Amino acid sequence: MAVAREAEPVSSLTEIKEAGLDREDLLGIYRNLLLTRGIEERGHILYKQGKIPGSFYTGRGNEAASVGIATAMRPDDVGTPLHRDMGVHIVRGVEPWRIFAQFMGRADGPTKGKDGNVHMADDRLGLIAMVSHLPAMLPVAVGCALAFRIREEKRVALAWFGEGASARGDTHEGMNLAGVRRLPVVFICDNNQWAYSTPTHLEYACEHIADRAKAYGFDGVVVDGTDVLAVYREAKAAIDKAREGGGPTLIECLTLRMEGHAVHDDASYVPKEMFEEWGKRDPLERYRTWLRENAQFTDEEEEEIRGEVKKVLNDAVKRADESPMPDVDTLLDGVFANPEDLETPHHK
Amino acid sequence: MATGTAVDVVMPQMGVSVSEGTITKWLKSEGEAIAADESLLEISTDKVDTEVPSPATGVLQQILAQEGETVAVGTKIAVIAPEGAPVERQEAPEPPTAEAAAEAEAASGAEGEAPTQQKAEEAQAPAPEPVPAPEPAPAPPAQAEEGNGRREAKFVSPVVARIAAEHNIDVSSIEGTGRGGRVTKKDILAYVEHGQAAAPAAPAEAPAPAAPEAPKAAAPAQPQEPQAGETVEPMSAMRKGIAEHMRRSLDTSAHVTSSIEIDMTRIAALRQRLKKEWAGSYGVNPTYLAFVARAVVDTLKDYPWINGEIRGDSIVTRNFVNLGFAVELADGKGLIVPVVKNAETLNLLGMAKAITDIAQRARDKQLLPDDVQGGTFTITNPGGYGTFHGTPVISQPQAAILGTYAVVKRPWVVEDEDGQDAIAIRSMMNVTLTYDHRLVDGALAGRFLRDLRERLQSWDESTE
Amino acid sequence: MAVKTYLQAISDGLRSEMQRDKRVFIIGEDVGVYGGAFKVTQGFQEEFGPWRVIDAPLSETAIVGGCTGAAIMGMRPVAEMQFADFISCAWDHLVTVAAKQRYRAGTPVPITVRLPSGGGFSGGPFHSQNPESSFAHIPGLKVVCPATPADAKGLLIEAIQDPNPVLYFEHKHLYRRIKDEVPEERYTVPFGEARLHREGDDISLITWGAMVYTASEAAQKLEEEGLSVEILDLRTLAPWDKGAVLRSVEKTSKALILHEDTHTGGFGAEIAATISEDAFENLDAPVRRIAAPDTPVPFSPPLEKAFIPQVEDVVAGLKELAEY
Repeated sequence: MAVAREAEPVSSLTEIKEAGLDREDLLGIYRNLLLTRGIEERGHILYKQGKIPGSFYTGRGNEAASVGIATAMRPDDVGTPLHRDMGVHIVRGVEPWRIFAQFMGRADGPTKGKDGNVHMADDRLGLIAMVSHLPAMLPVAVGCALAFRIREEKRVALAWFGEGASARGDTHEGMNLAGVRRLPVVFICDNNQWAYSTPTHLEYACEHIADRAKAYGFDGVVVDGTDVLAVYREAKAAIDKAREGGGPTLIECLTLRMEGHAVHDDASYVPKEMFEEWGKRDPLERYRTWLRENAQFTDEEEEEIRGEVKKVLNDAVKRADESPMPDVDTLLDGVFANPEDLETPHHK
Repeated sequence: MATGTAVDVVMPQMGVSVSEGTITKWLKSEGEAIAADESLLEISTDKVDTEVPSPATGVLQQILAQEGETVAVGTKIAVIAPEGAPVERQEAPEPPTAEAAAEAEAASGAEGEAPTQQKAEEAQAPAPEPVPAPEPAPAPPAQAEEGNGRREAKFVSPVVARIAAEHNIDVSSIEGTGRGGRVTKKDILAYVEHGQAAAPAAPAEAPAPAAPEAPKAAAPAQPQEPQAGETVEPMSAMRKGIAEHMRRSLDTSAHVTSSIEIDMTRIAALRQRLKKEWAGSYGVNPTYLAFVARAVVDTLKDYPWINGEIRGDSIVTRNFVNLGFAVELADGKGLIVPVVKNAETLNLLGMAKAITDIAQRARDKQLLPDDVQGGTFTITNPGGYGTFHGTPVISQPQAAILGTYAVVKRPWVVEDEDGQDAIAIRSMMNVTLTYDHRLVDGALAGRFLRDLRERLQSWDESTE
Repeated sequence: MAVKTYLQAISDGLRSEMQRDKRVFIIGEDVGVYGGAFKVTQGFQEEFGPWRVIDAPLSETAIVGGCTGAAIMGMRPVAEMQFADFISCAWDHLVTVAAKQRYRAGTPVPITVRLPSGGGFSGGPFHSQNPESSFAHIPGLKVVCPATPADAKGLLIEAIQDPNPVLYFEHKHLYRRIKDEVPEERYTVPFGEARLHREGDDISLITWGAMVYTASEAAQKLEEEGLSVEILDLRTLAPWDKGAVLRSVEKTSKALILHEDTHTGGFGAEIAATISEDAFENLDAPVRRIAAPDTPVPFSPPLEKAFIPQVEDVVAGLKELAEY
């Protein structure tokens, strides 16, 4: 029996304007969606060309969820996105060439070659790099919110986790502490229905992850993760609430993981019908249709945006490809921080 | 983007644990054009089957792996060339050519690399002069393993081994207070400070090569702060070795020296004649030393004990002479005593050549270990500096050492044809024989010198 | 200067840092209203308020992980684990996130985790451990183990100031038993610098934490027999003062390492390996270790006494080494 609220789709331009987006913002969202998907598609190609070492993960199908949430964040909010949330990095302003450099293990990637694929974040942009032990960053995001609360700042922390990661104790401890202390944190569950090859019914026993919020003393809401505007609207409401001291919210974005767990996984365990059904709800297509129908989105505008995105991607791949590998001499560097390292916008 | 240079296509790694891939189908053939990102081939791996996009635009110049072939990740499987580029066939890499063997290192016999055979040192005991003396071989002193049944092999800890090496000490000669009687760091430090040998040192009587006895009064001066005007420099290993061996030789043999004056006038004249002859034909100098060496070798045949050795309670004599010559090394670095083996087989020319050769090799640091061991008698010739007398130190375990001094023109009393005394100018040379009086008595030494003189003074053209 | 207990020195150090720097806060179980299980933070919540002295739920991961997040946001959090043994619940976070964030993402994590450690009072297997060596092994973490009240204060302030995650092991058995002079002013003790607890010529005894006092008693006994033992208090394990250890061994040529943690893989193994690698030619005897046996900490007093290295054990070990 579900407990969480299910979000309604966004009906009109007016409604979304009330939620704080004007037309330019809306076109910007489309650009970000295209860029997000484009980066991951290019990454695929680069991987198969042998230019990306290790493994490669994408969030195909999750673009609207990630872009939608991030669009509702303020510049001084912070977050801990995961590997399906490329859109968050894009919206926050990470340069695409640096993302490719990161994938390719180059010295100019955000981790300087020290970590791979999407284990990156530019902390000047308020993002904290993820680890593989999901959802280890959830208590960290809660800690950020704790700092905001102690200092009485009107800032919000966002913590991402998948429906699979929700099974670990870190989720429980983090949410519990956040609920007990009414901390300004919004929890985002990317529920793409498959944790590698494990379907949801083997991952959790309640109907929605969002149902658990109640147990921690706050609200949960389930939203169609392929509907970028619905996601945005819910995120905005939750973030504003947290900012004003209303405590946490758990937003569950429902999508389907449209590719394998990683590029080496062909997801043959996913029933074909699921791919078909969710394929029809492709986030980019949905949004494009909505723009056409509700915002007078023209061919010229679309051409322009597509052309710009394509150029950005081409330039980014080229620049990253030409950038150097890390110097072996840097291997031992940076294990420990020096006092100067604390001079960042966040460690202030 | 079109490629300007040839671009390799490699087998991609489809997943972290994947190590190889199989080519299932080439979608293009050699010579066909291809665009970047266009699918070039299909592959199959453990995890997934997929298409591989081309990394560049151009022409598929060469396929290096065929359909059905399984290759390791990273293997080059094709080459994309710019349109119109000549086809460069990939050749199988050349098998690496065998490296030339490292050049045999020239064994450096000089500078104290000689093994343990002890040599005599020539220290001027009272006033040290720059006398060229044979170079002793500084043997590594930590000789616990050469117990030879004299003492039990005891554990030597790393720090004790190090201190022993630094001070040239034989650990086995120190009394140990550690567990099992081992020498502790404290024990050896005390020893270094007070220089006491724990047990009375017996003369070296172990079978050759003799383990060197720790010197009795070997205490290096306690390090004090240098006074104004004093400079302190550490002793080189060679110098330490020389010091140790000088002391030991004097402690071992009963050194006595006898001198005799030799009239070298005839040889002097002969030398002048031979010089020209030899320079042209043999490129070698007929030195005084060569004459003396020849005469010494012949004389030793009649005095085997002077070419002999004390071993334990026995006397060793030989039917050969391995003749050592003291050579001074450049820059005052030290001395070395290369040996001419079987000198009894050489004539004057052979002797001159042999001496020249070893002296040169000694200076060039090209002596082999064999060149500095096995000597039975030694000649040193400090006479080059004009001295007329000396008392060299015997090179252990030999019985004697001959010193030759400057050939000087002196007024001399001679008998003329009428049997009358007259004063003539003669080329006179002193020689000394320093001998071990444990074995060689004064009378024997005297007779040896007399016979040596006789040979040299009666040398004529026919003497070889 | 004033004479304080080890616990008082820690408490005063923490308090003065919190007074001085608003970014410093303490979070842990029972630290607020109760003043902490050992009363280190007694009176703190009254002085600093509930948002700087935070009573946390029973959630080591959330506590330590939360500190990481807060630290990245500019705070200087101090987490108190009620017993050092519970750090295993946050081991994953420390090793996975806190230790690696600087190296791989360029993000410093200036947190301090206080860990009441050690046994000797029948605390049993889960309240008596010294879980220092596994952390000293992880690149990115720092590990400190003060033995004296003065060092406890100085090392705590240094830990809070250090831009890296610091595991601060405060030995419970020293809390009230050890009293000594502690300077009133603010000062720090640098990491990686050992303290010469006792000078000697015959044996180098390398130790830390509560064992410093055991070593001291043993050395005192043996001085009467003419043995001169040098005691080095390492004070910090990551980083540790290799130079001081090697210099001492160069002098004495005999080394004995003493720690309360268990034997196999205890930090003494690292020290012994280093001495054998870097001071081989200075050794007049094998490098010895005295440590607890490879068991969980037993509860019953005779068992625990047999487990924790006693003065007699150290005396015997020193004697054996002296006679080698």
